[in-house]
Amino acid sequence: MTAVAPLARPARVLRLEIRRSVVPWAIPLIAALFFFDSFRTAVGFAPVWTVRSSVITSNMITDFGPFAAGLAAWVASREGRRHTGDLLATTVRPAWARQAAALGGTLFWLLLTFLIGVAALYIDTARQATWGGPPVWPVVVGVVEVTTFAVIGFAVGALFPGRFAAPLAAIGTFVIAYVGFHAALGVTPMTGTYALLSPATAVPLGDVGVFYHVAPDVAIVQVMFMGGICVALAGLVVVAGRASRWLWVAGAVLLAAGVAASSTAFALAGTAKLSMSGWDIPALHDAASDQPVPYTPDCAGTSFKVCLHPAFSLYLRDVNAALQPVAAQIAGLPGAPVRAEQVASGSGVRSVQGLPVAGTPATGITGTPPVYNISSEDPIAPLWGTGAMLAISGWGAGFAQEFLTAYVAPPNTFMPNPAQQAVVTALMTAAGVGAPQFPQADNSNGTPVGPSQAQIGAAATRFQALSPAARRAWLATHVPALRAGHITLAQLP
Amino acid sequence: MNIELSDLTRKFGRNTAVAGVTLEAGPGVFGLLGPNGAGKTSLLRMLATILPPSSGSLRLLDNDPTRPTARREIRRRLGYLPQNLGYYPSFTVVEFVEYFALLKEIPPARVPKAVATAVERTDLGPKAKAKLRTLSGGMLRRVGIAQAIVNDPELLLLDEPTAGLDPEQRVAFRALMRDLGQTATVIVSTHLVEDVGAACSEVALMSEGKVVFRGTPSELTARGESHGVGDAPLERGYSAVLQAARA
Repeated sequence: MTAVAPLARPARVLRLEIRRSVVPWAIPLIAALFFFDSFRTAVGFAPVWTVRSSVITSNMITDFGPFAAGLAAWVASREGRRHTGDLLATTVRPAWARQAAALGGTLFWLLLTFLIGVAALYIDTARQATWGGPPVWPVVVGVVEVTTFAVIGFAVGALFPGRFAAPLAAIGTFVIAYVGFHAALGVTPMTGTYALLSPATAVPLGDVGVFYHVAPDVAIVQVMFMGGICVALAGLVVVAGRASRWLWVAGAVLLAAGVAASSTAFALAGTAKLSMSGWDIPALHDAASDQPVPYTPDCAGTSFKVCLHPAFSLYLRDVNAALQPVAAQIAGLPGAPVRAEQVASGSGVRSVQGLPVAGTPATGITGTPPVYNISSEDPIAPLWGTGAMLAISGWGAGFAQEFLTAYVAPPNTFMPNPAQQAVVTALMTAAGVGAPQFPQADNSNGTPVGPSQAQIGAAATRFQALSPAARRAWLATHVPALRAGHITLAQLP
Repeated sequence: MNIELSDLTRKFGRNTAVAGVTLEAGPGVFGLLGPNGAGKTSLLRMLATILPPSSGSLRLLDNDPTRPTARREIRRRLGYLPQNLGYYPSFTVVEFVEYFALLKEIPPARVPKAVATAVERTDLGPKAKAKLRTLSGGMLRRVGIAQAIVNDPELLLLDEPTAGLDPEQRVAFRALMRDLGQTATVIVSTHLVEDVGAACSEVALMSEGKVVFRGTPSELTARGESHGVGDAPLERGYSAVLQAARA
């Protein structure tokens, strides 16, 4: 029989702290928040690894962060609340070692809960995802963020022990991290990019990391910034402990190193630029990550092919079913697309939509032979998480309407003219995919202008009443004029 | 000598809590008596290396507590029970005592036995796995004593150790103090003169920061013959010495 070696002293103190931690009492509440906020948000996104993992550094931090700060502050303030200071002061182990064990016990449960949440998210994604694998950077950033919130709370509790330390730490970190920092600094190239350091990152586009790699630049500066805060606060607690001179020097060095790391990260975040792979930080950026990710699309259809990125294969059947009937109506006509293909939706960050980003592919019909580009954001985005697009009322008709509008109207047309509307309506009705929905044109006072919906409907009925051959013959000769807006309702046959 | 104090003084602003105390003590149970505000707790906190003296010299267990390495060595061999015991309600008795055993740097292999011995000596065995939040005041006092003796200290400082204990527990605790005093220096600060009479081999009486009497309990009793007020002989000695000091 071999003797079991006793655990080392710090490990035994840590084991005690883990066993008697207060965090498990809060786990049910954290788990409920995680389920109703983070998990449900994630399953509302497309089952794409990079998209769903975005909730780790946004929603999950919102759910975990204030708890981490509050619980850590509660633990750190216990020597003051429970009046154990005198008793502990007569022990041999220095205060920093004691506090490190208490923080370790708190972090053990917080990070365990956090990682279980991540695992639940990834397991659910793995069941649905058709391409790619679980990204590591969001998990690294998330772990560092939860740790930082806990360290901030612990420092508050250690430096200001009292019963109000915990609620103040929880509320304070929430306000500073999410409201103050984000609102004050913004997160666009115009308002400043420092807020990229905030845990409250923007919701990504639906295909982030699919067509282009997600550069780890922002993740690196976030880890550097948060890690710097952790190290600096650890140093501050050691310095404030008024221990021996050597400990004071060590604490001061930690404090300076942490401030330097966070300051460097802050400066680096200020140099961020928007690109196809998200936010690039020149000093950290690897140009190799700018290259498109190679992939073989999944396609459906024979004469008119509908192709999606394999990450979106789940939706191929529905997209194909929505486009084939209307594609058949214009097949072979001048400028009619020969296939539909999914393209990258842009910069990867939703909050900068509308800002010019170099390399963003045009949506609509482009190229020779013409190809209809399907953006990952629209029209697929509204259907994420359902897995059954056609089950959603009006989705197929809306998609078909966008497809035909792209054919009969100039690119990026929000409101086709009456003749274009009538043609789209007639072709959709002929294809049997339902009626389109166009808003009534009006002037600045809200008064309707131009032909009424009834007049447009009458023209559409007239055009649809033509034989298919006659419709195609008319379109073959008049599409250029129709797209240019030179055809009126009265000129429609 | 385990304790050597020379002209030890502690001031808090303009208030002098301990005023030039000179004292020596070796193994045995040493009683520290005095009214409220006499400076007993401040003196005990200096002996416990919590509070640095304002002036004077202090040597504990042949070490100078002003030096960090020496202070660590003293703390390794020190046991302390403060007047108001702070505790963590979610810890069990054994966990709380183990926590302090580990913080006192008892070698990990010896911790389980040391904890078991301390729990047994304070008669806490039946409550070993009870959470501290469930214990009565007297039980908690015994937990405090258990953590103080877990490292088998050579210098044991007890501030009001019998407060909250029932008569039976107090009798048992006095026996424990006498037992510990065989090898260690046990300083007991108390208001209860019967504890001193029953357990202490030597006693000092403090008033206004100064030691106004030092001797055996019998000598203190003798001071009260036909002078002091009180029900017991030791109480009469106590009040007689205090009256003389105030006069």
